[in-house]
Amino acid sequence: MGWQAVEGSFRDPSGFVYTRDGTLYRQVNSSFREPFEAFLASGLYDELATEGLLVPHRSVGLELSASPEAYAVLQPDRVGFISYPYEWSFGQLQDAAALTLEVQRRALARGFTLRDSSAYNVQFQGGRPLFIDTLSFAPLEEGKAWPAYKQFCQHFLLPLMLMSSRDIRFGQLLRSYIDGIPLDLGSALLPRRTWARLSTLLHIHLHAWALGRYSDTAVGSATKGRSMSRQGLLTLVKNLGDATRRLSWRASGTEWADYVDDNNYTAAASQNKRNLVIGYLRRASPRTVWDLGANTGEYSRAAREVAPQVISFDVDPAAVERNHRRVRAEGETGTLPLLLDLTNPSPAQGWAGRERLSVEDRGPADALLALALIHHLAIGHNLPLEQIARYLSRIGRRLVIEFVPKSDSQVKRLLLSRPDIFPHYTKDGFEQAFARYFTVESVSPIEGSDRWLYAMSSRGNGG
Amino acid sequence: MYIDPTTGSLVLQFVAAGVLSILAMASRAREALKSFFKLLVPRRGRWAGKP
Repeated sequence: MGWQAVEGSFRDPSGFVYTRDGTLYRQVNSSFREPFEAFLASGLYDELATEGLLVPHRSVGLELSASPEAYAVLQPDRVGFISYPYEWSFGQLQDAAALTLEVQRRALARGFTLRDSSAYNVQFQGGRPLFIDTLSFAPLEEGKAWPAYKQFCQHFLLPLMLMSSRDIRFGQLLRSYIDGIPLDLGSALLPRRTWARLSTLLHIHLHAWALGRYSDTAVGSATKGRSMSRQGLLTLVKNLGDATRRLSWRASGTEWADYVDDNNYTAAASQNKRNLVIGYLRRASPRTVWDLGANTGEYSRAAREVAPQVISFDVDPAAVERNHRRVRAEGETGTLPLLLDLTNPSPAQGWAGRERLSVEDRGPADALLALALIHHLAIGHNLPLEQIARYLSRIGRRLVIEFVPKSDSQVKRLLLSRPDIFPHYTKDGFEQAFARYFTVESVSPIEGSDRWLYAMSSRGNGG
Repeated sequence: MYIDPTTGSLVLQFVAAGVLSILAMASRAREALKSFFKLLVPRRGRWAGKP
C-alpha cells in the first residue's frame, strides 16, 4: 500500500490525512473539488496562512495520493507535537476557541464558513494556536445557520464555563467526552447564577433544552423557512467571542501552584542543578525533550537552551496555566506546556482505541527530564522503582533524573502522615532498579542538598 | 455538511441570533442617541458664564 492513515482523520468524506515514507499528506477527494478550489481562489487560504492562523501547505503530485478518489494532494507543514484539548490548560483552550472564532469571522467576511469547529482542528505550534483543518472551509449558503455552532459550544464554551465557574478539574471531562461535553450535562453542572447571564442562558441552558425539545423533529418543520443573514451569523460569532473572552480563572489554589516559590533549594543549589542539567543535555543533543513534572517550566527553559522543542508536562492545572501565560507573554516558540498525570497518562482512545494517541504513542522523546519527581511517584503513589524505570525507558531515549533521598525535606513531608514502607527507596535501590533499563552515563551530587543527578540512556528493553 | 447540527441547535441558533441582533441594534441606537444629546446640551462652562 505504501501509505499509513492517520487514524484520527476519517470522519470527513472530503479528504483525510496520511503519511507516506514518514511525510505527512492531506488528500482532497474529488467530491470536495469545487469548494476547495473556491476556497483557494477567494484568497482566504492566503490570508489565514500568511498570518499564521492556518497551517500552510504546498501542493504535490497525484502520484502521492492514497486512493483513486483523490483530486489533489497537499503537504502541510508538520506540527511538532500533537496535543489534545484534555491536555490543555484553561488559557490554551481559551486561545484555541478564540482562534476558531477568528477564523470563522474571516471566513464569513469572504463568503465562507467553517463546516466544523472541533477543538481537534487546533494544535499549538511555535507557542501559538494553529488551525490545521484546511478542508474545513465551504462556501456560505445564504440564509443557512452555522452547522458547527453546537460543536463549538460543546468543545469550547461549555468546558471553559465549567472550569471557570465550577472547578478547573472539569476540563478533564473532555477526556471522557471527546466529541465535546454534552450540553444537558453542562447545564446541570453549571451554577444557578449562570441562568442570569445572557450568553450562558442562550448558548448552554436554552440550547440544551432545545436539543431535547426538538430531538424528534425534522429541521424543515422546526425552522419553517427561517433564514439567517450573514450579519446574524457575525453577531452570533461576536457574542460567542465576547462570552469566551470574559471567562477567567485564577491560576492558584491547587496543590503545586506555588511550588516554585516554596521548595528547599538554595539559590546556589538551583544554579548548580541547572548547570548540570544543561551540561547533560548538551552531550545528548536532543531534538525533543519532555520535562516530566515541569511545574511552571523553569528547567524546561533551561532545556530549551539546548533542544529546539520542549514539552513541559505537569499534573497541576495552575502550574501549566502559569507556564502557558509566560510562553504567550514572552513570545516563546519552542516550549509547549501540557497537562499530564504520569500515574494516569492520556490513553489511546476514540474509535477503535486509535483515534487519539496515547502519550507513549507520541514518543519516544530524545530526552526526558525527571527532576524532583521520583519521590512523588515512588512514595507519593506507591509505584515500584523498577516499574517507573521501565515506563521511562519506553517513553524516552535518554533520561536526566534527580534522586531525592529520604533525608530530603520534601520526602519527609510525604512521610509525615504514613509509615515508611519503602525499604528499597535508597540510592542503591534506585540505581539497581534503573540499571535494568538504563545505562548510567554520569552521576553528580547537587550542591547544597542530599540529592543526586543522573544522566542515563535507555537500553530499549522496557517494552 | 458532514456533522449533524441537530434540529434543536439550529432552532436555538435562529432565536439566539435574533435576540443578539436586536440587542446589538438597541445598543447602537442608544450610543447614537447619547452622541446626539451630547451635541444638543451645552457644556456646563457656558452656563457658568465662561466663554
